Amino acid sequence: MKTVRGIVVAMLFLVTSLGGLWASGTTEQPATGAAQAVSEGNTLNAYSIWPENWARPMFQEFEKATGIHVNFVRFSSGEALSRVIAEKSNPKVDVLFGGPVETFGAGLKEGVFESYKPPAYSVLDAKYKDPDGYWIAIADDPLCFMSNKKFLQENRLSLPVSWQDLLNPAYKGMIQMADARTSGTAVTRIFSILTIFDRDETKAFDYMKKLRTNVQVYTKSGGGGTIPVGLGQAGAGIFFVVDALNTLQKGYDVAISFPKEGIGQSAEAIALITGAKHPGLAKKLIDWATTADMQNLYAKYEINFVPAYPGVETQKTLADALKGAKIFQIDPVWSGDNRARIVETWVKEVLQ
Amino acid sequence: MTTAPAHSMISPRGKGLRFLFRDPATTLSVIIIWIFLALFVLVPLVQILAASFTVGGRLSFAEIGKILGNRYEIRAAWDSVLLGTLVGLFGTALGFLFAFTAVRANLSRRWSRLLDTAMILPLISPPFTMAITVIFSFGPSGLITHDLFGLKHFNVYGLGSTLFAETITYFPIAYLTLKAILAGIDPNVEDMAFSLGSSRAEVFRRVTVPLSAPGLANAFLLLFAASLADFATPLILAGNTFPVLPTEAFLQITGMQDLKSGAALSFILLIPSFLVFILQRYWVGRKHYVTITGKSGSQTKFKSVSRLVKWILLAICVMMSLFILYFYVLLVYASLVEAFGANEQFTLSHYVVIFTEGLKAITDTLLISGVSMVLGGLYGVVLGYLITTRRFATRKTMEFISMINYSLPGTIVGIAFLIAFNNPPLALTGTAIIIILCNVSRYGAYGTRSTVAILHQIDPSIEEASSSLGASSSLTFRRITIPLILPALFSSLGIVFIRSMTAISATIFLISVDWTLITVRILENMTELQLGVSAAFSVFVVVVVYVVTLGISLFLRLFRQPGSSEISSFLGA
Repeated sequence: MKTVRGIVVAMLFLVTSLGGLWASGTTEQPATGAAQAVSEGNTLNAYSIWPENWARPMFQEFEKATGIHVNFVRFSSGEALSRVIAEKSNPKVDVLFGGPVETFGAGLKEGVFESYKPPAYSVLDAKYKDPDGYWIAIADDPLCFMSNKKFLQENRLSLPVSWQDLLNPAYKGMIQMADARTSGTAVTRIFSILTIFDRDETKAFDYMKKLRTNVQVYTKSGGGGTIPVGLGQAGAGIFFVVDALNTLQKGYDVAISFPKEGIGQSAEAIALITGAKHPGLAKKLIDWATTADMQNLYAKYEINFVPAYPGVETQKTLADALKGAKIFQIDPVWSGDNRARIVETWVKEVLQ
Repeated sequence: MTTAPAHSMISPRGKGLRFLFRDPATTLSVIIIWIFLALFVLVPLVQILAASFTVGGRLSFAEIGKILGNRYEIRAAWDSVLLGTLVGLFGTALGFLFAFTAVRANLSRRWSRLLDTAMILPLISPPFTMAITVIFSFGPSGLITHDLFGLKHFNVYGLGSTLFAETITYFPIAYLTLKAILAGIDPNVEDMAFSLGSSRAEVFRRVTVPLSAPGLANAFLLLFAASLADFATPLILAGNTFPVLPTEAFLQITGMQDLKSGAALSFILLIPSFLVFILQRYWVGRKHYVTITGKSGSQTKFKSVSRLVKWILLAICVMMSLFILYFYVLLVYASLVEAFGANEQFTLSHYVVIFTEGLKAITDTLLISGVSMVLGGLYGVVLGYLITTRRFATRKTMEFISMINYSLPGTIVGIAFLIAFNNPPLALTGTAIIIILCNVSRYGAYGTRSTVAILHQIDPSIEEASSSLGASSSLTFRRITIPLILPALFSSLGIVFIRSMTAISATIFLISVDWTLITVRILENMTELQLGVSAAFSVFVVVVVYVVTLGISLFLRLFRQPGSSEISSFLGA
């Protein structure tokens, strides 16, 4: 019947345009496939867990130094890891760049990383590398307390310098921190608290339950609470110092402090993806990122991480902020083995 | 007047093989749509169900059992239904109020333009922006709660603010649906009631509302589904005392790497979506609402509201509109200062950033949304046209399946696409086409719904009249049917474009090193504490979408055919 000629035209249009797009999508792949057969070319793909405004200058400097271009996209640690796992059978990227060590520990169990020991491996402290070379650290990042100065003033509070200070009822409903289900910051925080209580889980969770009444919201990302604290929507929070200093540098009226009982830190790592399409280029990036070549640049770009490579100087503002702070390393084997169970307990006992 | 087979005269046929040969065009379209639905709805769905119902390759209900045994997740399920219902009710009511005012209150052009402007803003803003501005306005030191009303310790996290933000974000969908329906009601029907001695209240209650029933039902369904699928707003606003399923599913998948329980949570989400879908079908299917009969005289001035009521309605709408505009003024302001709340010095640097470092995201998004708009708009309308006017086997199944990707939370669709299309023969991950297909399969449903709603209003006698006057069937289709469904097509194009520009929940899993999207950059910049850049991106999205939708309106006005209904565009401008 002719009544529906319009529909046919429309459908044909739909099919041809889909077909066209399909073709344009598929023609790309043989091309790269052919190029691969000859060499890896000079572009590698990466997922970055570091924010783009830090990852971009690093990759630009890498390109300047080696001529290798890094095509990258940024995801939070949880998202990046789920993608790498989902793409396992046909990996889209060669390197997972940045992000807390426990993300890499979780990925290791899924078999998404390939062991690679760059030249820096032998030089690095044991806490900065996986014993089998599945990940290697590029930086270290301590936690800290960050408070809104005006909030402290209005409530006649002094800067919190103990974990117990945060239990003060004056903070009721005014503390923000991250949700352990999505944020590496939160996991590091929970393991810090466990360490403080000598790994006595009953006491540690008891403390966290008490702290819960002062918590306004558990945010999805580790830095999610920094702007609310900056704006005075929340009074204080527990963050990685890299995010806290960034807030301070933006001009928000906040102050950073450290608890006298001590607080944990988490290394930032890099890893080679199993089945990477450009393993040679990826290894070059890992070689470069794990040495002073890259870590010397943190100061230049105001990236407030502590360099992992021995002898590289910590940026001055960060070094000043950390002066006198009691910071401990969280045992990566212990945290890796217990992470899933502890997070589950946290969700059941504290969050719900 | 009945709703039953609208094209009974043009296509008096049953099911069976013979019809295949009698109407090859329909058959072809049906086959093509089925292939599309099979590949991009059923295949991913099966993959995700396999993930939640199998353990080691064997059928298992352990995951579902685990959820049903968890009090928190059960609460999340109830909260989701509660939130969806409330958003559906409030949003539909608000949408109806605005649509009724716009169509029936004899507004001057300027007033209706103001309403339309305010109306389109929430629709075109990226998902996180509303939530963020709500936090700035209502938190413990919020601009409204603290600075304006002096409230301290105002808790912004929970049902109230989530409901507020979602209602504001989604009620324009109800407005668009209902405006088309109300405009389609022949004013003479109301006039008849008036001349038979009915009061205005009676006409409203016994004529206008019943005639809008299919629209109200559709609006409610769309809003309910939109709320059920929205993970972004609750993620920021719901806090920890009001868990909802899509956010829980998102957190399970991205946070705990637990695809299985995330998939299982989403499976539970399917149940309320399906129930509402059935309810809506049953309700709408029972009403008679043919009003574009082709037998009406010339249109008269609306008498449905008195002057007083008109001004009251207008006042409410204007206040609401100004309230909405306030949020966007806040957004523009945040994009023009160094750091919102800290260093409020004027700067254009955020815009420089989005047009240099962010340029790739911008061009990618425009290309992807443009293609999605054309394909998704056509697909939605053709599908809606087929299932309303053609009798073919599997029709109802097709309608249901076409709603699945729309009803499912984007997180699940995104992950399902990622798993289903990562390997040959359909290795699409990393391409633009997977994002486009995701958009088409999800947002085409808007076009389908509005086409169904509009077609339900059209009396088949119009087409019959055309045929019996000797017009060929193609002439009838071109001169009668097309103009009648044109408003649906254009609203469909517009909405698919808007949704593609502002989508994040599914597409966040589908972007790649080669193709990225503005919305993902906005979220990104928020986590990087670059509020200004986030705001600048959001403003850019709002402006682009506004310009495009305005363009569509103008285009539609140029091609408006005699005999088309009064809505000249989906914006009404």
